[in-house]
Amino acid sequence: MSFLELSGIQKSFGPVQVVHDFDMTIEKGEFVSFLGPSGCGKTTVLRMIAGFETPSGGTIRINGKNQESLKPNQRNIGMVFQAYALFPNMTVHDNVAFGLKIAGMNKAAVDARVKEMLGLIHLGHLADRFPYQMSGGQQQRVALARALAPKPQVLLLDEPLSALDAKIRVSLREEIRMIQQQLGITTVFVTHDQEEALSISDRIVVMNSGRADQIGTPFDIYNKPATRFVASFVGTLNLIEATVVDPASNRISIGDQAITLREPLGPVKAGDTVSLALRPEAGSIAESAKGDTALTGQVVSSNFLGSVIRTRMKVGDPVISFDMFNAPGLSPPAVGDVVTLRFTASDLLIIRE
Amino acid sequence: MKTQKIGAWIAVLFGASYFIIPLIATFEFSLRMRRGEYSFDAYRSVFADVQFRESFSYSIVMAILTIVFGVLLVVPTAYWVRLRLPQMRPFVEFITLMPLVIPAIVIVFGYLRLYNSSSFIPFTGSARGTDLLLMFSFMTLSLPYMYRSVDTAMRTIDVATLTEAAQSLGASWPTIMFKCIFPNVMSGVLSGAFITFAIVIGEFTMPSLLNRPAFGPYLQLIGANRAYEPPALAIIAFAITWASMALLQLVSRFSKSAPSKP
Repeated sequence: MSFLELSGIQKSFGPVQVVHDFDMTIEKGEFVSFLGPSGCGKTTVLRMIAGFETPSGGTIRINGKNQESLKPNQRNIGMVFQAYALFPNMTVHDNVAFGLKIAGMNKAAVDARVKEMLGLIHLGHLADRFPYQMSGGQQQRVALARALAPKPQVLLLDEPLSALDAKIRVSLREEIRMIQQQLGITTVFVTHDQEEALSISDRIVVMNSGRADQIGTPFDIYNKPATRFVASFVGTLNLIEATVVDPASNRISIGDQAITLREPLGPVKAGDTVSLALRPEAGSIAESAKGDTALTGQVVSSNFLGSVIRTRMKVGDPVISFDMFNAPGLSPPAVGDVVTLRFTASDLLIIRE
Repeated sequence: MKTQKIGAWIAVLFGASYFIIPLIATFEFSLRMRRGEYSFDAYRSVFADVQFRESFSYSIVMAILTIVFGVLLVVPTAYWVRLRLPQMRPFVEFITLMPLVIPAIVIVFGYLRLYNSSSFIPFTGSARGTDLLLMFSFMTLSLPYMYRSVDTAMRTIDVATLTEAAQSLGASWPTIMFKCIFPNVMSGVLSGAFITFAIVIGEFTMPSLLNRPAFGPYLQLIGANRAYEPPALAIIAFAITWASMALLQLVSRFSKSAPSKP
């Protein structure tokens, strides 16, 4: 039995259904991210777990217990919000102590737990400060300590890094992951930032229009996208329309150049169109088009992005992007150059949905 | 540039004199009770009057009760409207504005018709019942100011997220209300409370027609029968109002330096 079970969860606001038959199980101590664009229903699912929204259908079980009849304050779920939501009238100490006092702990126990939690987030020296006297990153760490203090059975993080600047986001997400692993707390993290989700999750749920398009490890989500949406949403991707030449030998053509795929084409016939995905980092420039897995095209743009140089080349109608790692001796292709891109046949994925 | 400045100062002085000169004249007249010299005899006479002490104490008690019950009505209402019924906000705002557009005398005649001693709810059948009715009437009169003060203070905090944060930490509704919401809208509550205080102390129509011994009717009675005491009372009433305004300023300054946003 899984620790957190979501079975057939549905949610409608009036006539609009925002979550459709959402099924998922999360193991104890697992870190799962809900990833998707705005309005895909990820926060709604999180709020249903917290009890702030009532599902229109389905059940939510935590540790085998149905949560339907429990109010938000009876679920023992910690939550961290995008807007920090620290109580402005209370000091850092009092914010962290809030849940502990409600739980009826005595003063000595409360003080000890607050000290432990502030130590965990390295803010013990700011215990007497008010939220308005702290930076956004510090406030969010206090919010994390406050949520963890009463030892919740599940921790919910609702885009906790969205309001922070880029550097703080990176350091805080690493800190969150470290604390989560240290405490072994089951965590659900909502984000629209793929890099965040890929870097700290055990598993990712990619959501689209209220449905889970794919559930898998970050490696699987990135390398084996199950749907066109997942392929386009996670990472940068070339989506290429190709024409089937010979279904029996998995041969297709891009522009007027033929390629043999490693993956079976499935039930298609010659002349049909199939969608293929190719990551920009999968290929490299070659001197000549030796073998089948190479495409030759004319460079239409070349952009320096710091660690990589992203080049776009035209192969017939399709335009394909590829990345080259920056190096001091590198001479990037110029616009108008004709170049050959080589890759392995398995890098080309067939997108079926 | 210099001429412009002088012109502005003249305009300010002219405007100020419009208010200050009558006030100085009133104050000066209130000191003339003793023939041939200035004295505070009128003030001594006012403060020595048992009726003054009784009516003033009565009004202060009524003001405190009005503030307490007004806050208990307005804060949860404004909170709930912001949290759960935002679509009702224009309607609630309209309701709270009604006392500004309906004259107090119309309201009190309505009360007398609805709550007289032979009605279904005979508030006016006893002194305590009438006191209660008077307190409700003061709450009604102060509603536009109290609601706006509290609602404005509530706008500075993220009510919904703070409520959810408190709920996720196990807090019940009373805990959320008194530990998370009230302290964060205290500046608005205090602003509304001081305005309510000033309204209750000066209100004449309601207590007069409900026949209760409040400060407003006492002011009118003294004004109709004495010469020097009325201006002394007017100055005392001004002082009370100014003290309320000064407290209001202090509170608003306090709220500027206090944390307001999460």
